Amino acid sequence: MYRTAARRLLGAGFTTSRLLRLPKPRPTTTIIPYSYCTSSMESPIGNQSVNPNQSDPTAAREEGHRRDESRKPRAEFQEEQARVLAASLRHVPRLGWTEEAMIAGSREVGVSPSIVGSFSRKEAALVEYFMDECLQLLIDRVDSGLDLQNLIPSERVSKLVRIRLEMQIPYMSKWPQALSIQAHPVNVPTSFKQRAMLVDEIWHTVGDGASDLDWYVKRTVLGGVYSATEIYMLTDDSPEYRDTWAFLDDRVKDAFDLKKSIQEAKYFAQDIGAGVGKSFQGLMNGVMQTMSTRGGRSSAF
Amino acid sequence: MALRLLSSRRRLGSIVLSYRSPLASLHSHATSFGFQQVKEEEKSKLVSNVFTNVASSYDIMNDVMSAGLHRLWKERLVGKLSPFAGMKHLDVAGGTGDVAFRIFDAVNSVKRRALRKVDEASIEETQIYVCDINPNMLNVGKQRAAERGLSDNRSLVWVEGDAEALSFDDDSMDGYTIAFGIRNVTHIEKALAEAYRVLKRGGRFLCLELSHVDIPVFKELYDLYSFQVIPNLGELIAGDRDSYQYLVESVRRFPPQERFAKMIGDAGFEKVEYENLVGGVVAIHSAIKL
Repeated sequence: MYRTAARRLLGAGFTTSRLLRLPKPRPTTTIIPYSYCTSSMESPIGNQSVNPNQSDPTAAREEGHRRDESRKPRAEFQEEQARVLAASLRHVPRLGWTEEAMIAGSREVGVSPSIVGSFSRKEAALVEYFMDECLQLLIDRVDSGLDLQNLIPSERVSKLVRIRLEMQIPYMSKWPQALSIQAHPVNVPTSFKQRAMLVDEIWHTVGDGASDLDWYVKRTVLGGVYSATEIYMLTDDSPEYRDTWAFLDDRVKDAFDLKKSIQEAKYFAQDIGAGVGKSFQGLMNGVMQTMSTRGGRSSAF
Repeated sequence: MALRLLSSRRRLGSIVLSYRSPLASLHSHATSFGFQQVKEEEKSKLVSNVFTNVASSYDIMNDVMSAGLHRLWKERLVGKLSPFAGMKHLDVAGGTGDVAFRIFDAVNSVKRRALRKVDEASIEETQIYVCDINPNMLNVGKQRAAERGLSDNRSLVWVEGDAEALSFDDDSMDGYTIAFGIRNVTHIEKALAEAYRVLKRGGRFLCLELSHVDIPVFKELYDLYSFQVIPNLGELIAGDRDSYQYLVESVRRFPPQERFAKMIGDAGFEKVEYENLVGGVVAIHSAIKL
């Protein structure tokens, strides 16, 4: 489900203007809107201005090819773009999340760097691709048997966030740039969606059974924890990022404590509400009785 | 309105319509020259005449007809292209060099060089070829280059050639643009096939062209402007009403956005998209060769 969602997300960025889906073959009809022509002008002559026979045999062959596999060309170019982005990632530590990295990546794949111009929001496309890839890697890690059984929920969350953040270590020198790209107003919708998907995936793996308001609260809190840790990591110099993981553990514990405190606050509110409600009800009953004895009329309540 | 135009066409009577003899109709195909039907061999000659006449006042007329908007459209085109240092670019039907100069500036701008790590060698390698069928238009372009001090620059190359039979090698260009030129080509499919041929894998095709407007009231206003105002402006400023009548008619004859996009797809291009500017008065079609 997440794989298709990720693909859809990546695809959504590329279809800002109208994308042509090659349709079923239509008969080429001729329209001569203004009949200036003398009466001897027959329609075959007008036809030839649209006749594909005039084009090269190669074009005709490709046209036939297109009709048979109208879906295939579109899939190919998306694969090609994915390949270029994957190759570009190798140049990011050196060149940053920039067009230069993408140009270098496209050269590696053997494609003209002009293709970079066709990515909408170029650098953002690279960052978003990376985020999707990381999410995919995380899902794969989890599916291929990550041992979470012996851990309590807070430790599970810690472990998953740690795995995800470790994927960013090779790019750590340029990660602030990626964050600033993600924060551009144009890019915020997509980056927000990607983080939401990530957080959702983590909670799902941990074994979340929440519903209603709790679902949103959990995702929001974890989103906050994740972002805080991510930013802390940017300035962490400790060997193997030990300080970051300690920070992460503390924050997750706080979050779970917060959850407990929210729960406690809820119960407290309910109790008070019940108490007040009872006394309010008692009050209303008293009032009703008084009114009925006084007025001798039936109560509208 | 159609009848009035018909009568005005008859009065000029300089174009031969020889469909009386069946032999002629067997051998010569017809194509459109504005709202007229003419023989194919004649169209390129007629187009050449039009542009010989308009060459000297082409830029001024563009400014007047589009109220300066054509500059913005060309900026948008070059922005979409996203030029890079070291690219080999071909601008077809770009006689006076508008698009070519913009690409040159984009690649060489000091701001760009300062912000990004570009090595000087790749800037040297940049080649922008300007191809046009009409030598007069190219001369105007060369003159403008000289005015900017670029006449000796090796990056800009002015080539005379036909969009349907380009003299460039296969897989040699990173980018191909054609701004306001493709409607003048006799066989659009051939021009598209040539574009496909010369582009490298991953190369982009971009076409800026006057296109069809569908918005109800605006369409009528646009038609009024095209048929009433523009030929008069042509007469006033360039002293050539017929050429501008042809220009306006050729816009109407050109396929609408979707159909042109399909033609581009048929030529083998991928990711064919188009963007309407000013409600469809102008459209930028873009595609990639893969």
